[in-house]
Amino acid sequence: MMKRRHFLKATGTAVAIPILLNGTRLGAMPRSALFNALNDESDRVLVLIQLNGGNDGLNMVLPVDQYDNLANVRSNILIPQDTILPMTGVTGLHPVMTGVKSLYDDARLAVVQSVGYPNQNRSHFRSTDIWTSGSPADEVWNTGWMGRYFDGLYPDYPEGYPNASHPHPFAITMGNLVSETCQGPATNFSLTLENPFTIGQIPSGQGSNAPDNPYGRELEFLRTAIAQSNAYAGAISEVVNAGSSMATYPQGRLAEQLQNVARLISGGLQTKIYVVSLGGFDTHANQAIEGAPTTGEHAELLRNLSDAMTAFQQDLQLLGLDRRVISMTFSEFGRRIRSNASNGTDHGTAAPLLLFGTCVNPQILGDNPEIGPNVSVDEGVPMQHDFRDVYGSILMDWFEVPEADVRAYLYQDFTHLPILTPCETTTSVSGEESLEIAMNVFPNPVSQQATIAFNSAGARARLSIFDAMGNEVQVIFDQRLNAGEHTLTWDASRLPAGIYFCRLLLNGRQQVRRVVKAGR
Amino acid sequence: MDRRATLAAFIGRSDSKQKRQQRRAAAPINSSLSPYAGPWGWEQAAHLLRRATFGPTKTMIETAVQNGLNGTLTQLFADQPLPAPPVNPNNATDPNVPIGETWINAPYSATVNLVGYRNQSLRGWTMGLMLNEGISIREKMTLFWHNHFAVRQITDPKFLYKYITLLRSSALGNFRQLVKDVTIDPTMLRFLNGNQSTRNAPNENYARELLELFTIGKGPAAGPGDYTNYTETDVEQMARVLTGWRDRGFNTQNPDIAVESFFTLGRHDLGNKQLSHRFDNAVIPNMAENEYAHLVDVIFQKDEVARFICRKLYRWFVYYDIDAATEVNIIEPMAQLLIANNYNIQPAMAALLGSEHFFDILNVGPMIKSPIDFVVGAFRQFSIPFPTQLLRYYNAWFQFFRFSIPMQMEYFNPPDVAGWKAYYQEPGYYRTWINAATLAPRSAFTNQLATTGYVYNTVRYLIDVLTLVDTVSDPFDPVVVIREFSELLYPQPLAQNQLDYLKEVLLPGLPDFEWTIEYNDYKANPDNANLRQAVETKLRNLVRAMLSMPEYYLS
Repeated sequence: MMKRRHFLKATGTAVAIPILLNGTRLGAMPRSALFNALNDESDRVLVLIQLNGGNDGLNMVLPVDQYDNLANVRSNILIPQDTILPMTGVTGLHPVMTGVKSLYDDARLAVVQSVGYPNQNRSHFRSTDIWTSGSPADEVWNTGWMGRYFDGLYPDYPEGYPNASHPHPFAITMGNLVSETCQGPATNFSLTLENPFTIGQIPSGQGSNAPDNPYGRELEFLRTAIAQSNAYAGAISEVVNAGSSMATYPQGRLAEQLQNVARLISGGLQTKIYVVSLGGFDTHANQAIEGAPTTGEHAELLRNLSDAMTAFQQDLQLLGLDRRVISMTFSEFGRRIRSNASNGTDHGTAAPLLLFGTCVNPQILGDNPEIGPNVSVDEGVPMQHDFRDVYGSILMDWFEVPEADVRAYLYQDFTHLPILTPCETTTSVSGEESLEIAMNVFPNPVSQQATIAFNSAGARARLSIFDAMGNEVQVIFDQRLNAGEHTLTWDASRLPAGIYFCRLLLNGRQQVRRVVKAGR
Repeated sequence: MDRRATLAAFIGRSDSKQKRQQRRAAAPINSSLSPYAGPWGWEQAAHLLRRATFGPTKTMIETAVQNGLNGTLTQLFADQPLPAPPVNPNNATDPNVPIGETWINAPYSATVNLVGYRNQSLRGWTMGLMLNEGISIREKMTLFWHNHFAVRQITDPKFLYKYITLLRSSALGNFRQLVKDVTIDPTMLRFLNGNQSTRNAPNENYARELLELFTIGKGPAAGPGDYTNYTETDVEQMARVLTGWRDRGFNTQNPDIAVESFFTLGRHDLGNKQLSHRFDNAVIPNMAENEYAHLVDVIFQKDEVARFICRKLYRWFVYYDIDAATEVNIIEPMAQLLIANNYNIQPAMAALLGSEHFFDILNVGPMIKSPIDFVVGAFRQFSIPFPTQLLRYYNAWFQFFRFSIPMQMEYFNPPDVAGWKAYYQEPGYYRTWINAATLAPRSAFTNQLATTGYVYNTVRYLIDVLTLVDTVSDPFDPVVVIREFSELLYPQPLAQNQLDYLKEVLLPGLPDFEWTIEYNDYKANPDNANLRQAVETKLRNLVRAMLSMPEYYLS
């Protein structure tokens, strides 16, 4: 088998400029040295759990220290404070997510706070395309982020596949979705299971019963022929039969999909990516039941998610597969901070993202979002972490993609995030010298100019202003800084009155401060 | 899990052919050739046009609904002038044909190879005729006759042009006359060795196919060399009848020699030809260059000729399975109609396509589209536009002509003289189109047409999903969008779980109103690339999924 690095793209644009920090940070260490104690890279699996519709992150991972201000603007759906499952002193979980809480307690869960991208698009379709392609918000890319990765490794696919070295599909999408995540320049690297072309492999709801007449008979013939012609059908059928599942799963589509994933992995399928999904997060109305906000549609979705995640992780541990698999949730956007009158929430901006698995660096990465006392109608949770940094960190640490390639696949400004850890130990090896950024913006509210103060260990810093809709409206500073305390002046005089967020990207860490721009 | 076995167990059926035929015979209510008098709407009009053309557009179906059954039949069968001949689209090296002029009568050259580009021109032109035909049955009938009077491996496009023009001009004409004309067609003379058949060495090749494949067909073996409808003696004697014909003009560089056939009395067998009792012991005397026509008249005195061609028409336009009831209720009256009309094809064809039987629900949808139907139909149904500049559209037509080849069907190149197996090979018939080798190019084609398209000469050929969705009666309602797309693309309604599946493809995990909002946003700002892309990507996913469904393979 050819080595992966032989396929690396010779791109002139992807010049690696490693940001060397204080020498001990995880993000600066060579990836392979850190992770080569793991199994061979071909054994590693990433499971993506797509939460369709835009998940209300504020009711999933609750910023307890912002509770009073939340109560001002979303009292009809807000989880009562005494029912929140505490993770840290300032952050907790929706009460139905006892499973996720146990994953956290077992050091198998990471929460990445406020993940999004600059210039948030609030269209489901468009924002999903951005999340699956990994494109900037204002560019249309026709390939998926994992599709570009696969294309770098296997540029001839599908010509000559499957073959002896690669008998199995590179990616599998469970259910009906077309996985844009795995779309390559020429073809999609993902095989969709449980579509009209694949019958009889995994329990399927597809296709009506063909009527017993000439039309029905020809249709049945075609269905069978098409299923049999799938190049991977035989291999998958074998693997499903060889595979097993040892945990008890709850009812529901997501749990069923994840259990099938466990079966396929345990049966020996060499597939690297699985995409599963749970729909219904578009909770414009009746997100929570009036008077009983811990119940309702969103609570049911989170219960499904949490129970399925927990059962899946337990299954992997029982099967001895847990060091080979990490899983991650994502959703096209979060929802507004302020709820609407229908006990629901409308399309918003950033939201937390959950990673789980034995090799996940257990932590809550980033700060709680800051909720102001006077939240505007349009205001979403501002972005703290760029979703492409999450993707890129997985590519680097899990799939051992060189940083230069990660930049080429995603974006030049990629910043590594410490979201994975060698699984030899369950304790966090963040190794991070905790530098207190301690960003402060004053005066707040601001009318003309404000001062922004923070500490830097000496690295590149990007300081920019986002509006309530998630648009990056102003870049104040984007260059290398010396170590020490810094004070910058922000001229806000040209901005209309409203809510803004001051985001500082420093040393691979992010901090966000909410600022009110007063009228003139 | 074997769905087929489960289904069979559920309804308690066995798969024996006999039982199937019994059930099929018992099931139809409207199984006669009587004129259809039921409701006339989208379903019926779409069914008629799917079978009679290479795939109707929405507009064509609506026109047919408006014109009614009889009006549509009249339009389908209406006379129309022959198309302008194929031209030289771009070959500057042809010393005999300027660009834009036709090559069909122009000689070849001693210095430049002109066969290649002219063959491409002929094939591109043929593709263009199928792509651009309106509500007319002529192109589907022309391909029917090409399958019936199959020729292959004829390398001179001038010959092929003459041959296909004969079939096209007689597509709805007199079958007897067409057999006569094909018998001395230069291409056929070359293909079945008629041009080598002399009184000293009569070649039986054409005589045998004339009986077995072109006119009366082989009946059950009734004795040594006796096939019920004819005997080996008849093959030998008829070969003598057909001696003396030759062709000229093949690959010629002489401007004075046209592509034609000619008769040489000196090569013709002048004796009496004694046919068998299967042809009432008829004796055919020497009639020189008129003798072949007399022979065809003798063969056509047997009514079995009418039944034979009606079965082939039935398999081409309706369904492959001809059971005892269909034989009695459809084939026989259709054959009688053909005979009563002196073998003019049109009345019998109009009766078949206008019959109760044709519109019987059991006959809607069970035909697996041929590769040419599949490829041409996709371009037609989605109204994919072609450029007006000669070179560009000829080039694109030729590229698309080739798409059906890996799907195992190539115009001007059937596998053998019997035509494509789908129309005669028991027991699979249409199913012979489908195998692992042909499914891959079929799905690759529809996937690419729906997503990225094809680029030739800087023109992109791609389904315009945004225009398509605009033709829907309420494009803001995703349920209506999927229903109306389904009605255009599938012969029978989808089941609810399939409609749900498609909505999930269009709107993964989202409520219906989000489509309305996104589509509204796009319509309000059609120039906003982000909004357009958001809607377009979802529609492309939907159309790709719809074209991947096995239902789309059926007509």
